[in-house]
Order: sequence, then structure tokens, then C-alpha cells
Amino acid sequence: MEFFIDDLRVLFPYPRIYPEQYAYMVDLKKTLDAGGNCVLEMPSGTGKTVTLLSLIIAYQMQSREKRKLIYCSRTMSEIEKALVELRNLMKFRADRLGGEEDFRALGLTSRKNLCLHPSVKREKSGSIVDARCRSLTAGFVKEKREKGEEVETCIYHDNLDLLEPHNLVPNGVWTLDGLLRYGEEHKQCPYFTARRMMQYCNVIIYSFHYLLDPKIAERVSKDLSKDCIVVFDEAHNIDNVCIESLSTDITEDSLRRATRGAQNLENKINEMRESDQKKLQDEYEKLVQGLRGSDDCQQEDSFMSNPTLPDDLINEAVPGNIRRAEHFVAFLRRFIEYLKTRMKVRQVISETPPSFLAHLKEYTFIEKKPLRFCAERLTSLVRTLELTNIEDYQPLQEVATFATLVSTYEKGFLLILEPYESDTAEVPNPILHFTCLDAAIAIKPVFDRFSSVIITSGTISPLEMYPKMLNFQTVVQESYSMTLARKSFLPIIVTRGSDQASISTSFQVRNEPSVVRNYGNLLTEFAKITPDGMVVFFPSYLYMESIISMWQGMGILDEVWKYKLILVETPDAQETSLALETYRTACCNGRGAVLLCVARGKVSEGIDFDHQYGRTVLCIGVPFQYTESRILKARLEFLRETYRIRENDFLSFDAMRHAAQCLGRVLRGKDDYGLMVLADRRFQKKRAQLPKWINQEIRDSETNLSTDMAVSSARVFLRRMAQPFRTKDQEGVSIWNLEQLRIHQKKMQEDLILELQAEQEKEVAAAEAARAAASGVGRRVVEEVSDYEMDEDDEAEMMALDV
Amino acid sequence: MSRKAPPGARSTTITTTPSLPSLGPDEMCPVCKTMRYLNKEMKFLINPECYHSMCSACVDRLFNSGPNQCPHAGCHKTLRRKGFRAAFFGDLAVEREVDIRRRVAAVFNQKEEDFIDLQAYNDYLQKVEDLTFDLVNGNDTQRQAAEAELQEWEAEHKAEIERNKKAGREADEQSRRRLAAEREAARQRRLDAVREAEEEKQERARNREAELDSLAKGESASSRVQLKRRGQANRAAEAAANATATASSVAGASDAGRLSIRGLKEKKKAPAPDGPYDPFGGPVFVPSRYTVHSKLTHPKLEGLKNETLWRAGGYSFEDYTAQAMFEAFSGLGVFIEDEKEAGIGLSAGDVVGMAAGIAAVGDKMDLD
Repeated sequence: MEFFIDDLRVLFPYPRIYPEQYAYMVDLKKTLDAGGNCVLEMPSGTGKTVTLLSLIIAYQMQSREKRKLIYCSRTMSEIEKALVELRNLMKFRADRLGGEEDFRALGLTSRKNLCLHPSVKREKSGSIVDARCRSLTAGFVKEKREKGEEVETCIYHDNLDLLEPHNLVPNGVWTLDGLLRYGEEHKQCPYFTARRMMQYCNVIIYSFHYLLDPKIAERVSKDLSKDCIVVFDEAHNIDNVCIESLSTDITEDSLRRATRGAQNLENKINEMRESDQKKLQDEYEKLVQGLRGSDDCQQEDSFMSNPTLPDDLINEAVPGNIRRAEHFVAFLRRFIEYLKTRMKVRQVISETPPSFLAHLKEYTFIEKKPLRFCAERLTSLVRTLELTNIEDYQPLQEVATFATLVSTYEKGFLLILEPYESDTAEVPNPILHFTCLDAAIAIKPVFDRFSSVIITSGTISPLEMYPKMLNFQTVVQESYSMTLARKSFLPIIVTRGSDQASISTSFQVRNEPSVVRNYGNLLTEFAKITPDGMVVFFPSYLYMESIISMWQGMGILDEVWKYKLILVETPDAQETSLALETYRTACCNGRGAVLLCVARGKVSEGIDFDHQYGRTVLCIGVPFQYTESRILKARLEFLRETYRIRENDFLSFDAMRHAAQCLGRVLRGKDDYGLMVLADRRFQKKRAQLPKWINQEIRDSETNLSTDMAVSSARVFLRRMAQPFRTKDQEGVSIWNLEQLRIHQKKMQEDLILELQAEQEKEVAAAEAARAAASGVGRRVVEEVSDYEMDEDDEAEMMALDV
Repeated sequence: MSRKAPPGARSTTITTTPSLPSLGPDEMCPVCKTMRYLNKEMKFLINPECYHSMCSACVDRLFNSGPNQCPHAGCHKTLRRKGFRAAFFGDLAVEREVDIRRRVAAVFNQKEEDFIDLQAYNDYLQKVEDLTFDLVNGNDTQRQAAEAELQEWEAEHKAEIERNKKAGREADEQSRRRLAAEREAARQRRLDAVREAEEEKQERARNREAELDSLAKGESASSRVQLKRRGQANRAAEAAANATATASSVAGASDAGRLSIRGLKEKKKAPAPDGPYDPFGGPVFVPSRYTVHSKLTHPKLEGLKNETLWRAGGYSFEDYTAQAMFEAFSGLGVFIEDEKEAGIGLSAGDVVGMAAGIAAVGDKMDLD
């Protein structure tokens, strides 16, 4: 369908539209017009992606400056889905507009997924693929070959150089698969095609990391212009992504390997000094001049990457005491030895970067400034030495990154040294966590650089938490409710078991037999009445294991077994995917299955249980984080002191967003239906923190229930859902066709006009009053005028005189 | 509680462990071959003379009776008991390097502010690094040369070194104090947070009690609701007050933080360059009522403009025009008629005052 929002012509690739989709578009347009950031929450399964894309593409195509869209999503499958949606949209637009538009869209993912080289693509691990690819495609490899040396190169990559650099692929929407196929046909490398074409694309779709992780962002996303529209979809976890991208862990093993790396580096330097003194000298000269990073270090095949540095540092010359290669290696060694010594301490230490630096300086005479340049200097050295087997230097790179980060940021980071893995462990296994506490640091460059950043998800409540945590201003913050023709999901809060004892997974009571039995009964009862699939979420693996073994002892599992197959998620990805496959088979055949999984595991995010795959989701306990972790504690303290977010508020917010994610798994569309059961006493109070669209549907009569009451209301709900339901019933209520949309728009316009009129009247009245208070002469004139009943023009003239 | 195994067991352990060389340097004393396995509390000491490590028992045994030779094969240094200490680093080469660095850093302690620009500082840093590198890794001649250079520099820059050392100590002291203050502040904040939470809890309990009391007294439901509301309002107001208080205190803290930035030397401002000397100190002699064009001509003097004879004497046509213009305009603004009326010899100010007076009493004058 095709309609207008203000003067923007939107082409929507479906004949019908949901009311919330329309509202979403209106708000999105408002944001883009105003040129600011926004946080939008739209219920899962209401076509968020297609709404976003169709509005932004329409906006892009209509405006003259063609602002680029950068769409970030979380997983590969979501990226692929978005690309397919986009392709459909563009096809629809072409049909409607009678011709293809000048438009190009690409998805970008890692080399591992996009490699075509016959032997490299067979590698299992991503980092090996990266390393091998680099050794075939690096700039100096090409140089060497031109000099006539016998070196192996990648034919797919080399073919790219024969093409026009700005036209490697024709216009159109390229899904990852499509790109692979095109690459195979034309013998060109899909990965580098995507990388190089990014500048010439209208839409880029890739994962969060390409924009948030400073190590990658600097290389991949550097050339994107300022007016890009950035969208973070599924962004409810964005703060954790930010934090992870700036945190590093250093273990004894990695230090050992770093030492070996430094040794190798030294050998290489000695070798090179004998064979090719000139290159080292060239590098040195360049560093003296401070030309670092000016020319070739930003090329796409640069080996190692650097964390964010302030711009003033980038342009500064490298400090004199690490300019020479051998000095730098000795410097690295000293730093690594220092870290090793620190790791020998047998008690927990947490310290801030300044205190760490002070101690470091006292013992090793390493100043802050050369430390800051560490990562950069290493990159330069590695490039000069033309090293290809880069994975040997990975740990060294980690240490250098750590050095740069620790000396760059004073605030918002903490070093925590944990000598033992757990409190009871006897054998020390020290880990030095360098943890980022402030999610705003990693995302700050994004907000600084791009004018419009859109953060959206199905569950991103409470909305005001995100601007607070990420430290930005919003133009629009909106949460949409779900319009439903029938109440197609039933959220209920169960607080008591059938014996009226309250149930909770709080630490004190979670292992009490009565609580465990009550949860068991709940599971059995819902397994009895649920058709097809049922998903159960536990707060942690540990608790899941213990409760399952207790259920086994109580015979509860045997009872459930009568009604459904039982499958369990494990931390192992392979096993879990097998379990999922079996679960799906079971849901399509016979009586269905129960999947027991963990609220923070793989299943809870990104796997959809639509239709028969999930009719009931049972959330056992509030999925709080493990609060004894020192990193979490440090972060809580930081949040409290910097952003005034209280510990309990944050913990409960975090738990509820995971719970909401779990609940959102079962409802993937308007013709879907499902039960959402929240089984914990504590949910009663935390209800308000659920997303608006879920919270709205919780009736007071369906909270604070005991098991049997919950079961009876669920029965009623399921019976109602079993009645035939035609699409026609939804029309006009939860689905609009074009006419209904027009009616709505008209109504909105009328409302707007009325509102404006009311405002105007108010203004006029105010002006009148102001005039009345003005001089008496003026008043006389006006009154005389009105007596004579002049027409409006004269009146205006008079008023001008009056002034 | 040392767990020394009996001697018999010890010998068997040694004979049954064929992989002796694979033990790390941390595990076995190279002098007496005692292993950590046998003596858990074994400590290794080094002497900065030669950096050969040995266990503390060996040190006691060998050096208790005065200076002795290092027991390591090929090392003929004479060591003293006093010189032994525990190594900070696991890698003794690094330990040695750091010792040398300590010595170098004590001499080469120039700051970035002491140099005219960054490049000079960087060159200095590199020079120091080269010297250190020679001291650490160089052969004998290099080492001696470096040593000589070091001493030369020390002799040359004695005063500066002393000064910088003092400044460095002060800076260290300050940074330490600041760190301590920060830690203290953090602790205080933590305590405050705990107290706040506690207070809130108590407040809630109190309210609850009040509510229960009112229930017990059988007050009406509406008054109970009011009570509850009041409690909530109180709490909200308190929270708001707290928030502003903490915000202001935070602002104060940040103020203090700004004031106490260390390491930023208060740079002396260079005196602003004096402008050209102005003998009259103020009044400007540029004509205000007109501008002198360069294109002015005079039919008679035109020929003289470029005449060398005239110009050699200092004559310039521009001066002439400027003078002429000045003379022409200097009479404007003077009203001769008025002056005549008021009497000649009055200053301009008087004239103005008089004119004003005349205007004011104009009517009367007419009458006269």
C-alpha cells in the first residue's frame, strides 16, 4: 500500500498495516526531521523491521541529500532477515514506481561467513580464517608478487582490483547468500566487495560490533559520513555490548603467550636488521615526524586494530622512548613482566587506573604517555615487519590494547584481580579483569558522529533508563501498545502454589522442598493443559540443574513425562541446537514438548517460538544477575555514583528486561497466541517494569494467583483461543487497509486542526487581554473600529497604527 | 610449619624424578638443589651485583661469616649478605634492567616542560633510552661509554637534577594524597548509600506501623489513606531534598577536583608585547570630519609633485593637502556671528553655555 505521512510518500510492501506500525512511522519521521536520537519500543512480532525500513527508505529516496542508513542488528539470522525484508520492499517499490531505483544495499559479516577461497573457507574457527585471509590479501603480499616473488595470493581478492573500485557489484539489495553466489559467479571476494562498497551503498546492515567495538569500528566504519541514520535494532542489551567491547581479561596463560610473542617480535627485528635495514629506518623516520596513521595504516587489511584514542593523540608524535623497534620490544617485555608479578598476588585486588599507573611507574619506570601509544606502536611495528601469522601475536595485541586503555581512561574503568576462580578453589588461576563500567564510553563516538541514532527493540522498558545509562538526549521516547482484535496472549502472575505457600526463587527459599514441589506442580499442571510446545525459563544453569535433580527425586519429571517430552538447554551450543531441533519435531508431531532453558542463555534471545512451537512460556523466578560478582558490584557502584541509578533499581531493571525477552518469545505475530506465566512472588511488585504492551494486558484479576486459579483461567483462555478466528475480524481494529488508514489520518488531522485552533484561540485571547491592558487611546480606536464593522484588512491596518 | 621430608625420602625423590631440568627457576635452588616440593616456604634471593638467584638458606649458609664469592660457576663476584634481596620480577633480566633504569631515571629526570617543544623532548627521551639500552644490553665498550656519558650529564646538570627530584617527590606526594582522598571519598559515599537505604527502610516500617495503629484505633478509611499519602509525600520531599543535597555536594566535589589538578604547572604568562610608543598618551590627530584623499590635485603644484629638487628638501604634496584641508575645516563649527554677539575672547565652552542660556531665557530677552 501507498500513503502519505505529511508530505512523505511511503510505500509499504503489504496491503495492510497495523496501527502501531503507522504510529511508529510517524514518530520515526518526527525524529528524522528533527535530527535527533530516539528510543522506541514496539511489541515483538508486529513487523518492526519492515516498518523501519520502509519509512527510512522512503525518507531517503525523497530527500535530496540521500542520507545513508546504517542498520545494526544482533545476530546473523536477524541481519539476513532484515536483508530479505529490504529486498521485498525494494521489489515492491520498483513495481509501484515502474522502474528500479538507483539503490544499493549490502550486509556485512565476518570473513568466515563470506569466504570463497577453496581452502580457507574450510577452516572452522573465525580467527584462523581471518589470519589466513590476511596472509593472502595483505598489501605487501601483492607488492612482493609484483616484484616477481613466488607468493600465494587469493584469486578472488585479486580479481577485485580489475574492477571499477566504486562499482564492484551492480545496484540492488544483496543478501549474504546473494553476495556469495554473485562472488562465485564472477570470481570475486564477497567480503572485500562488501567492505569496499560500503561507501557507495544506501543501506548497510551489519552487527552492533562494527559500530560499537572501537577496535573494529575504526577500520570498518570510519568513512561513514556524519548524516547517516543509525538504527540499533534489538537494542535492549546494547549497554552490555558496549561494556564488553571495552573490557579485557588477562590470564597467566595469555601473558605467557604474550611473552613468547614479544620474543618472536625481537627475533624478527634482528632478522630484518640484517636483511632489510632500510625498512626499519623508514618506519623510524615516519614516527619521528609524527606521521603515524596518515597514509597506509587505515587500509582495510591492516592487521591489528586499536582502541579509541582521542583525536589529539592520533596526530601526536610517538614518544621518543618507544620510537626504535628494539626499545619498544624491551618496553613491552617490561610491562608483561610487571603484569606477571602482579598476578602472583593471592588476594583480590580492585584498583582504579590511576593507582595502577602510579604503582607501575614506581616499579618499572613506565610512564603513562608511551603506554598510551602502545597499541598504535605495535600495529606499526607489525606492519613494518610484514608479519602474516598474526594469531601468534594475538595475546601480545591484547596486552597492548589493555595498556592503551588503562592509560587513556581514568574514569569509568576498574582493574579487578581475582586470584581464584571461586571462593572455594584451592589452586590459583588468576585473572586480571580490566572492566569497563560505563556503557556511555563506547557508544559516545556514535552519538557524537551521527546526528540521528534510533534505538529500538521489542522490550526496552523502562525507556528512560537507556538515555540515562548511555548518556544521550532523545527527541522522541515512545512505547507502543499492541492493538488486538482478541486478547491473544494472557500474562498471569502466579505467586502461590496450590497449597497457598508463596513461591519464589530468592536465595533463602529456593531450595526448600515445598517451593520446589510447588514449582513442580505448576509445571505439571501447565504441561497438562498446554497444547503443543511449552518453554520454561530458569534464572540460572546452576539453579536449573539443582531443581531438575530435585524434581527427579520427587517424581515430578515422571509426571510431566506422561504429557510431554522434556528437553534441556545446556551451555554447549551444539547440544542446545540438537535439543531445539528435537523440540520442534516434537511440537509438530504428537503432544509436544517442554523445553527447559535459562533466561540469560542462547534460547532466551533470538530464537522464536511462534505458533505451535510455543503456547506457554513459564518464567520460574525473577532472572536476577549473580550479584556476588565483583565486576557487577563495581558497576552498580559506578552507576549509583555517576548516573544516580540505584543498585536495586538497576538489578531489577536488568532482571525484568530479561524476563520480558523470555515472555516475548512466544508471541510472534497477531494471529499467534500464547500464555505467559510469571511464577514468583516478587513479580507482583515488579509488574510495572514490564514493557507497556505486556503490562497493559495484565488484569488485576490475573495477578497474585495460586496455581489452581492460574490453571483455571488459563483453561478458559485456551478454550477461547481454540475458537475459529478469521482475519476479517481483525480488520479495522488491529489491521488497517488503505481506506481505514486514510480515515485514521483524516481523524488525526482533524484532531490536529482542532488542537491548533484551540491553541490559536487561546493565543488570540491572550493577545486580546494584553491589548486591553495597553493604553486607553488604543483601546478607544479599536472599539470604534469594531463599531464601524470594518473588514479584516482595515482592522489589520488599524492595529498596525495602534502599535 | 616447614614440611621437610626425611633425608631418605629426599634422595629417592631426586633419583625418581628424571625431568629435573624441566623444573622452572622458581622451583629449585640452583646452588643447593632444594626443591619447592620439599620446602614450601623456600624463598629466592638475588644480589644486584650479579643477579644470580639462590635460596635464603644458601645465603645464610654462605654469607653469614662475611663476604664470599658467588657460588655460581664462572661468576667470581664477591657478594655481601647485606646486598641480597627478593626479586620483584620473575625474569631476572628485567629485574636488572629495572635497577639500571632506576639509576638512569634518577639522573635523567627532565620533564616535558623543560623543553622548548615536543620534538626536543622526544629526542631527549630517545637519547636516554639509547643510553639505557647500551647499559642493559651493550657490550663492554658500549657500557663504559654509556656510563661515562651518564656521569658527565650528572656533573653537568647537577642543580637541575636536584630541583626536578624535589619537584618529582612533591608531585608523587600530592598524587598519593589525592588518591587517598579519592578513596576516602568513595568510602564515604558508600557509607552514605548504606545509611540512606537503611533510613528508607526504617521510614517505611514507621509508616506501616502508623497505619496499623490507625487501623487499631478504628479511624476511618479516608483518614488512613490520607496518612499514607502524607507519608509518601514526606518521603518524596525528603528524597528530593537528598538528591539536591547530594547533587550540590557532587558539584562541590567536582569543583574541588578541578582545583586540585596536579602536574599542570602554572605557566607564567609572558608579558603582553608593548605597542608602539605613544608620546601624547591618548589624543588622536586623525581628522574626524573629513578624509584626505590621495587623489587631490592642485594645478600649480602638480608639477612639483615629482620634482626632485623640492622633494629633497622634505617637501611632500600630501603634507600640503593635509595642511590645506585642516585649515579649511578648522573654521567650521565656529559661529562668528554668535561670537561677536557674546564678545570676543570667550572660549568655545563658554560660548556653548551662553547660547544655551540665551535659548532658555529667550522670551525675556525679547522683552528687553
